[in-house]
Amino acid sequence: MTMSRQGVQPTEVIDRAAKLRFRWNGKRFSGFEGDTIASALAASGEQIFSRSMKYHRPRGILTADYWDPNLMVQVGDDPNVRAGHRLLESGMDVRSQNAWPSLNRDIKAANSLLGRFLTPGFYYKTFMRPRWLWPTYERVLATFAPGGKIDLDTSHAYHDKRYTHPDVVVAGAGPAGIEAALAASSAGASVMLVSHEHSVGGHLRYSSDAADQAALVELRTALDASDVEVLTDSTVTGRYEDNWLGIVQRNHPIAVERLIKARAKTLVAAPGLIERPYVFEGNDRPGVITSGAARRLVNLWGVKPGERAVVFSANAEGDAAVADLERVGTEIAAVIDGRTGGHISSTRGSSRAVDAVVADGASIDADLLVVAAGWTAPTSLLNMAGDRPVYDPAAARFFPSDPPSNVLATGGLAGDADLDGLRQHGAATGRLAAARAAAVRHRLQARTARALPVEGDEPAWAPDERAPLGRDPHPELYRADTHGMVDMSEDISSKDLVAAAHEGYDSVELAKRYTTATMGPSQGKLETVNTVAAIAEARGETISEVGTTVWRPPYAPLTLGALAGRMFEPVRVSSIHPWHEANNVSVIQAGQWLRPDHYGDPAAEVRNVRRNVGLIDVTPLGKLDLRGPDVPKLLSLLYVNKWMRLGIGRVRYGMMCAEDGVVLDDGVTGRLGEDHYMMSTTSSGAGGVWEWVENWLQTERPDWQVHVTPVTTAYASINVAGPKSRELMGRVCEGVDLDAEAFPYMTVRQATVAGVAGCFMWRIGFTGELSFELHVPAGHGLHVWEALMDAGSDLGVAPFGLEGQRIMRLEKGHFIVGQDTDGLTLGPSTGLGSLIKLDKDDFAGKPELAWAADRSLPMVVAIQPDDPGVVPQEAAQIVRGDTNEILGRITSSRYSPTLNRSICLGQVEPDLAAGGTKVTVLLESGERIGATVIDHHAHFDPAGERLRG
Amino acid sequence: MAAIGGRLRRRPPRYSAAALAWKGLRGESWPRVWRDCDLKRSYDAVVIGGGVHGLATAYYLARDHGMTDVAVLDKAYLGSGGSGRNTAIVRSNYLTPEGVAFYDRSVHLYEQMAVELNINVMFSQRGHLTLAHSDASLRTMHWRAEVNKLGGVNSSVIGPDEIKKECPSLDTSDHPRYPIQGALYHPPGGVVRHDAVVWGYARAADHMGVEMHQKTEVTDIVCEGGDGPDGKGAGGRVTGVRTNRGDISTPIVINCTAGWASLISTMAGVRLPITTHPLQAAVTEPVKMFLPTVVVSGSLHVYVSQTDRGELVFGASVDPYANYSVRGSLEFTEGLAGHVLELMPGVSRMRILRQWSGLCDMTPDYSPVMGFTPVDGFLVDVGWGTYGFKAAPVSGEQMAEAAATGRTPKLIEAFALSRFDNGELVGEKGAASVGH
Repeated sequence: MTMSRQGVQPTEVIDRAAKLRFRWNGKRFSGFEGDTIASALAASGEQIFSRSMKYHRPRGILTADYWDPNLMVQVGDDPNVRAGHRLLESGMDVRSQNAWPSLNRDIKAANSLLGRFLTPGFYYKTFMRPRWLWPTYERVLATFAPGGKIDLDTSHAYHDKRYTHPDVVVAGAGPAGIEAALAASSAGASVMLVSHEHSVGGHLRYSSDAADQAALVELRTALDASDVEVLTDSTVTGRYEDNWLGIVQRNHPIAVERLIKARAKTLVAAPGLIERPYVFEGNDRPGVITSGAARRLVNLWGVKPGERAVVFSANAEGDAAVADLERVGTEIAAVIDGRTGGHISSTRGSSRAVDAVVADGASIDADLLVVAAGWTAPTSLLNMAGDRPVYDPAAARFFPSDPPSNVLATGGLAGDADLDGLRQHGAATGRLAAARAAAVRHRLQARTARALPVEGDEPAWAPDERAPLGRDPHPELYRADTHGMVDMSEDISSKDLVAAAHEGYDSVELAKRYTTATMGPSQGKLETVNTVAAIAEARGETISEVGTTVWRPPYAPLTLGALAGRMFEPVRVSSIHPWHEANNVSVIQAGQWLRPDHYGDPAAEVRNVRRNVGLIDVTPLGKLDLRGPDVPKLLSLLYVNKWMRLGIGRVRYGMMCAEDGVVLDDGVTGRLGEDHYMMSTTSSGAGGVWEWVENWLQTERPDWQVHVTPVTTAYASINVAGPKSRELMGRVCEGVDLDAEAFPYMTVRQATVAGVAGCFMWRIGFTGELSFELHVPAGHGLHVWEALMDAGSDLGVAPFGLEGQRIMRLEKGHFIVGQDTDGLTLGPSTGLGSLIKLDKDDFAGKPELAWAADRSLPMVVAIQPDDPGVVPQEAAQIVRGDTNEILGRITSSRYSPTLNRSICLGQVEPDLAAGGTKVTVLLESGERIGATVIDHHAHFDPAGERLRG
Repeated sequence: MAAIGGRLRRRPPRYSAAALAWKGLRGESWPRVWRDCDLKRSYDAVVIGGGVHGLATAYYLARDHGMTDVAVLDKAYLGSGGSGRNTAIVRSNYLTPEGVAFYDRSVHLYEQMAVELNINVMFSQRGHLTLAHSDASLRTMHWRAEVNKLGGVNSSVIGPDEIKKECPSLDTSDHPRYPIQGALYHPPGGVVRHDAVVWGYARAADHMGVEMHQKTEVTDIVCEGGDGPDGKGAGGRVTGVRTNRGDISTPIVINCTAGWASLISTMAGVRLPITTHPLQAAVTEPVKMFLPTVVVSGSLHVYVSQTDRGELVFGASVDPYANYSVRGSLEFTEGLAGHVLELMPGVSRMRILRQWSGLCDMTPDYSPVMGFTPVDGFLVDVGWGTYGFKAAPVSGEQMAEAAATGRTPKLIEAFALSRFDNGELVGEKGAASVGH
């Protein structure tokens, strides 16, 4: 078989004036604008495009389109490119995949000799002993992994997705699909027509029939004049609930691929039919092609597929291929008619090319065998909509069964007719789709809150009055009297499938898993029905009885890059962040936030807070604004302590437990007004607590009057801490008495700070010092921070970061949820068991906490190593003496600059929780050190005098 | 390990390179991997669910306890549920000492499996990296490593440089969101060919006389003496099951039905604290090998490994809503792709080939429910959530012991159904929920 470029064809899509140069395996080639990579190579006489997976057999063109399993190539850093579909571009660096050292001489082709031993699943039956050799076997097997190479330096360029809400999406742009789009558009629907191919027209594109060409021109003209949005080189990849569609657009001018997410009111599935290869001995030899491939090569790209052909035809497409071949000068050695009992048995020749075809018992010299053996209905979109297509033996293919009423099939998927019949069915389908879309649109509008009411009543759901398409009889041609390849991507033959079925893997799903048939890149588009047929034959059953595999999304593969689009994972910083950056900050990742960790010397920052006054930016602290008369009930439900009698201006600490009694979050909540509260959460818990609150309100207590607004980033939050904090605050605050008696510990006040109205502040102290936690409207955060720094320069004011705060909170013995507690820590284990009020009516976690109250639980305790200079790492285990028995662990540890010793919090078994207990800590180095549990959490100022000052 | 109780009813055709060669030369085919049997009217025990758990239970009933008059019933084909839909990761670097001991036993059984079952399950112990993107998760990794080491499990925390060495495709640069700050490295962790585990247990159980019945759906469980309607419920006992192929009498019914576990248990009048959630997964087209280890990121809710066929297999955490649908969503693949690219920007041109979903039976404490129920003779091996595959061998072994001896083995005491009545939950939330 030698393919070659012929004279100009009336239907061709190439521009012979535009020559494109490219490289194929390092050598220079050229083609024309409009060529696919494969057509350009074929026109240049290339016969072998890839090597098969298992036996490394040479493979040539089979279908010459997107689904051709033999035309997978590497283009630059892009692996597994469909050369049968991808348009040629100037300068492309195209390489073959799966061949070494070269496509023409491949060492692994020696495997062909081992075929009889490499039966399906052979790898399950060997390589078991010796066990230590398995990793070596595995490495060798893995070298057979097919496919291209990824380049780890490929960058993920961000491409935004598109969201759209058309009335009707038509998947497939053959004559029926185009008519459906035009009819729906004429009926007033907004329509998106999605063509998998580079241009619309479906099979008309490569038909040399004059009437077909006239129809194609007419349809394209009508489309141009219509309001239909046409996407070419795009595929509807998935249909999800309520016609939520994924569409991949491969020819976007900027993006490599773009994902379009469309909510269609109705979906028209018009993907046409995929020509099915035929199974016989030597059916994967280069030179065996489908009738569609022959017609595409001739009519689209002016390529003569061979010099002397045998055509096996069981349908009109095969007959048309004969005419096309003759037109470009291919000698037709024989036409074997599959409708009248003609049959082919095998091809003969080298592994690289067909020399002869055995048909009707005779050997016919030929370098090309064109096969037209029938069709596979690509029912994927219907499967995804829940339909289970039904096999019709008379037509030898599957048909839709009962898809949901907002998914309509037309074209070859729905049945057969002449061109006019297909167009009429398409148009009728478009009108029906538009009518049903109008009803959906009306319903959606009526349900949407809007100023203007919808006009009129909802249109009735249009009945399906389309005249159904017929079904042309077609012989059931799956396998000849010989065995051949069923799955070209996976090198699975019909013999393999029969063997698998006899071995007991005799349902289609088991056979698929055992042999890997249909699991390759074409995902069954070409091979599913032949696979089913082989199993049916082995079982002595019909195709209907065996059934088919479920076609899962995506219909055509799409890149991770297109799916990812732009990741909306922003890095969050507070409005004060520019100041930190200008002042030598060292930042730390804390969830989504970048936060000041320290400004050079955290120990000095601690000493300054203990001596003078410090500022820390605590903006990420979660803040929920709660309003309504039922807020106290909500607080009582979600916190373990009591909330019904919190006075205005008061602040209370609360602990939340999940329904399993495990500590979920903690923080303070203050009452700002009669029905107005502000809840604070941990920084890392801000999002989770908001969801938790909403979940309870929306699903469990929808009758409660509470309005929740997350205001975490609406306020910049600054903690002003240290013995001189009151003096500093006095210099910038207006309208509030800061005196200890007027504004005592655990109260909240609203104030104007540095001229900024609408601030509120609470007197609480995570650091253990006198402190004011100030919440400023976010836009003024930087201003207030700078005002505080200016006003306190003579007081020794200095910023401190998260590390300083962590040291001070540890000195003070405040636990951190998620660090000192974990997914098992029940409320009482924190040492705050007295907070839990089991006499309350109900609250989240109450049953579990009631059980927990009677049990001895692991406890959070403060621990001091006996050697004050040793700081055990966090997560160091507390063990029993010299054994490996785990009795607890260190959860937090630091060196305290205030106490000049190492300090820890940890969790220990109940019997170790008493003050004075000696424990053994296993360091990461393996060394065991002694440590002592102290009898309260606070290493420093246990009476809290500084805090309340 | 020698067969203790189970006698080989028929001579198994051994799998080996020599046998492959012999059959290849002679052009002989292999006999059926398991028999097609007629459904009998009675069995000593019935296992509902022909996945890895059910099949392993049947296998150990026959092998360790001589109970061979056992039927495994599946409403579809063997391995059609979670057994064929999981991402096949096996590891033992859990958080609690109990979890470590349990899964360590499972890893051990997986290591023996190919030789013991005489089928290559391709346990590829290629190493398992759980990435830490923050101080907090790094602290948890240290915690797990310390507990693992004390339990004798090979597990340690490594830094970005070592991660890069183990897995060059990961982006270990100091980028602002989800930087890779370290990882828990577990060299014995890896992936298994999940289908081969299903077939291996089925074949080995079949050889000892256990019957596998596919397309056999249990429609009811027959009980007597219970406090509920039709003699079901607490205090009663099981007498049989009804199926679409006829009724069976049996004194022991073991429920191994994962996503359908609560519905099947209801047939015996037993309520389970289980909700069923879909868990989605996806696979790409193959490319040449580049990802040598299993990579997991809890913060990014993704786990990924490359199969020996060259495909990347991805999974995530369960869908947040209870559902029996296995159709999958577009948003899942989008989120997955974004998260994978965050870890490995170089794979942006790889293409997703197929997505699917399985059903997970979730319990409140992310731990299974195993053993006896208030209905005598009705046992459960359920609540396996997203971690059932890696526990299959040890679960089968322990459930078989429970069913055969009538006593709860020590290793599964903590997983009793009664824990929900007395508040003694087990907690593997931290290590099990996203850490595949």
